[in-house]
Amino acid sequence: MAVVNERKQVIPAQPVSTAPTLRQQVSERDRLTQETGHYYGITELSLRDADPIKYERFYNKLHAAVLAARESARFVAASPGSREMGECLWGITTPEGDTLAVSMGFLSHTAIFPVAIRYMADNDYDVNDGIEDGDVYAVSDGKTGGVPHPGDFYSFTSICHDGEVLGWAVGINHLMENGAPVAGSWATFSVDTFMDGLVCPPMRTGRKLRQESWWKAIWERRTRASTMNILDDKMRLAGCAMINNAAHELLAEFGAAYYKRAIREVIEESRRMIVDNMRALMVPGTYNGCAFRLVKYEGLQNVWSHANKNTLIHVRASVEPNEKGLMLDTEGSSRWGYHSYNATPGGADAAVFLGMINSFAHNTKVTAGIELAVQRHYALGSIYNPDYEFTSNANLWAQTVALNSIGFNAVSRATFARGYMEEAFTVDGNWGAFQGAGTTADGTSYGFTNFEWLGGTGRGAWCYKDGEPLVWAAWSQIATIGDAEEFEACVPPLFYLGRKLLPGYFGYGKYRGGPGNSAVHWCVEPGKHVALTRPNGGLSCTTSVGLGMSGAYPGPGSFMISARGTNLPELIAEGETPRDARELMAQVDSGQLKVESLEIWKTDCPELALHDHDLFVDAAGSSGGWGDPLDRNPALVIQDLNDGVAPDYAFVSNMHGVVATQNATGDWVLDAAATTAKRAALRKARLDDSLPAADWWQQERAKVLAKDVVPEVHEMYSQSLSFAKFDGEFRRFWQVPADFSFSKE
Amino acid sequence: MAGEAQISKELIGQLIEGTIDDDNTNRLQRLPRKDQDRFLNYVAVLQSRVSWTDQILLRLGDRLYVVRNAAGQRTVKCDCGHEFGDYRQNWKLGCKVRVRRTLAEMREVYDPAPACPEPGWQEVREFFCPTCAAQHSVEVVAPGYPVVFEMLPDLDKFYRDYLGQPLPDESPDWYADRTEALTQRWAAGATG
Repeated sequence: MAVVNERKQVIPAQPVSTAPTLRQQVSERDRLTQETGHYYGITELSLRDADPIKYERFYNKLHAAVLAARESARFVAASPGSREMGECLWGITTPEGDTLAVSMGFLSHTAIFPVAIRYMADNDYDVNDGIEDGDVYAVSDGKTGGVPHPGDFYSFTSICHDGEVLGWAVGINHLMENGAPVAGSWATFSVDTFMDGLVCPPMRTGRKLRQESWWKAIWERRTRASTMNILDDKMRLAGCAMINNAAHELLAEFGAAYYKRAIREVIEESRRMIVDNMRALMVPGTYNGCAFRLVKYEGLQNVWSHANKNTLIHVRASVEPNEKGLMLDTEGSSRWGYHSYNATPGGADAAVFLGMINSFAHNTKVTAGIELAVQRHYALGSIYNPDYEFTSNANLWAQTVALNSIGFNAVSRATFARGYMEEAFTVDGNWGAFQGAGTTADGTSYGFTNFEWLGGTGRGAWCYKDGEPLVWAAWSQIATIGDAEEFEACVPPLFYLGRKLLPGYFGYGKYRGGPGNSAVHWCVEPGKHVALTRPNGGLSCTTSVGLGMSGAYPGPGSFMISARGTNLPELIAEGETPRDARELMAQVDSGQLKVESLEIWKTDCPELALHDHDLFVDAAGSSGGWGDPLDRNPALVIQDLNDGVAPDYAFVSNMHGVVATQNATGDWVLDAAATTAKRAALRKARLDDSLPAADWWQQERAKVLAKDVVPEVHEMYSQSLSFAKFDGEFRRFWQVPADFSFSKE
Repeated sequence: MAGEAQISKELIGQLIEGTIDDDNTNRLQRLPRKDQDRFLNYVAVLQSRVSWTDQILLRLGDRLYVVRNAAGQRTVKCDCGHEFGDYRQNWKLGCKVRVRRTLAEMREVYDPAPACPEPGWQEVREFFCPTCAAQHSVEVVAPGYPVVFEMLPDLDKFYRDYLGQPLPDESPDWYADRTEALTQRWAAGATG
């Protein structure tokens, strides 16, 4: 239809669209879901029941599209983090951003998809100036896009049909560098969002599945690793284009009416399955957990004086199964601060759903159904839901991994109690990575992240056997330690002098956690400059989580050592270079390795400039044990001694009450009788060295009443007691007077 | 449920003992649906291994259970026979407690040295059975942190709604945290 104006020009009429706006679609989705308790009001799975083969064929094509997107796109163009590791993901969603299917990769990001879509709906992106098929949106903002940290970058592309938004193809990956003052992809010392690097609220960067030309300039001018970032941008979009095409093929094959109904049914179907799984695996009740993280900024933030302080972050959560699934409540956790560890609700979700998807969506379609089953409470003003709009989120993972561990450990406690022991293991763990920037001798500047250890950490002990090394990454579906040589190629002056498991580095118990990893990075001919920092998923000034499992010790956090000004060429000539943190410390102690400046970092290190033959050593990825260490089978202790897994005899002898001697060939041999006697002595010592809880409580209460704690702990309580739930718990436990407070006098 | 796997008590025993082989572990982990009678079989196996006759209602830890004792009370019990009292009170407050506050004390349980938590910001609390000295729990928390009630089960709901076998002594009072009754007594000067 057209109208003809006075000058006889043919002007296409604005079609009178009957398609709902995005805002209307979101509103309708929420209304139907809320009123019925079923996703989108779907009370009957009519398509599935009428023709299950057709229904599953439809879903399998959707699923195949996202799987194919990942397996193709990462080999078209990608940084090593995306190609070699699990640090990427593709998905397809409903018009409102609810997930229908996701690829392999870091799949908990699926929980975030609705945040950006709802922001676009609320702000009428489709009205002014419209959303057309194949539009490309960039998203890396925590507040408006739910993105955990700006180092994780999202591409959303619209799927439209007959003028209506029918869905979104989404591609995500972890950038190698995102242009913050602290170079890398986790800006560890950010004070607010303006220091977080390239932060994009949902913004259109392309049309018709093609990026616009200006977008390349952003990568080139606002990040330090533009080559790899542009490769990744192409990778995300290539995958989204494949998904977009697949969606249109599905629309052609099945028809729009079928498509619109089926995408609702698959989510409702999986929601039901997940609620059923929770009921089948959990024991109802209340599960509590806690963890801590130290932000040590004092003395390092002189330019931004309001951030020049230390903060002990309190991570607190409870899990309570209910009729709809379960509730995870984080009330009592710290308030937000002028540091890089803050989350947003979306960022917190990205952590929480790591464990929830793995635990409850294992036998069904991974969709937004899980988000309906897991209710979350992030108290306003807390570190998970700041009431300040410009918080930094750059390094939130360092504490949100602990939040995930608390939720996931609740599932482990439940499966253990329920008798499904094969599923019960200690969930903790932390990662190590390093990042930075440099300039080569020819003047080429670059930025980098090396997150090889993100791909594989030790898994915590099972309740029936030791945890394994390297096989597990709580934050990714795919555990792989990545390709070290490829990272070496990306970071010119840093080479691996050693890369191995670190003996003795795990949480001890009847069953031990999987050992952590350690690498020795050797700086060679750095050119004009190279400097690095290290973001971590938890540093060793606190343990990964606060509670051990069944009497075991939680896994230790990560640490780093910088050894600057060394005599390494002499050691190389001798063929005796250190391969891990333990060996490096031993060589320093013996005087073999001479170091002008040796620093051990148990909190975030500030930028470290490296020169020829300087060493940077990391240790991360350890995990916690399960059960009383004195219950460990002595044969396993002997095996760990002989295998070098736990080589410090004096330490393990006192830990496990095992006595052994070395034979002529150096192998450790158990002394069974002495072991029995030592265990009895250690048990007696436990009772002799301890206090009845009532007496301990009286002593500790006196300290609490006197507020006899370091300033960081004092402020932590001040923050957490500002939330009623933890305030009540604290007061009930310590029986403090009504006017007791940790507030500043 | 049709096609549901049957998991033998022998295999459950192997899980408890830690002798199960990887093939069987993998088989259990890959069950599309768990065997629904696992809990009752698990409890039966556990019951056969303890030296006392109180009915096990739930296993809380390797050596720790909620039981119904001869007096009809639901209490927490160590496998050595020590009773910690009403399961609605945090059983850790019936333990003996050892706290590691210094680096030297923490160094005895964390290796290598840089892996130790930081004194002042953190302390390591060990909770022992007063009778057999079993280490039932470890906390690594800030000084002054309330002892964490790790798990308060809703036993009535579990047995009625999840297992379909209601307990004979159901009461709305069973699912309530009663720890404060203990700390109130302590604050009043009582030590028991």
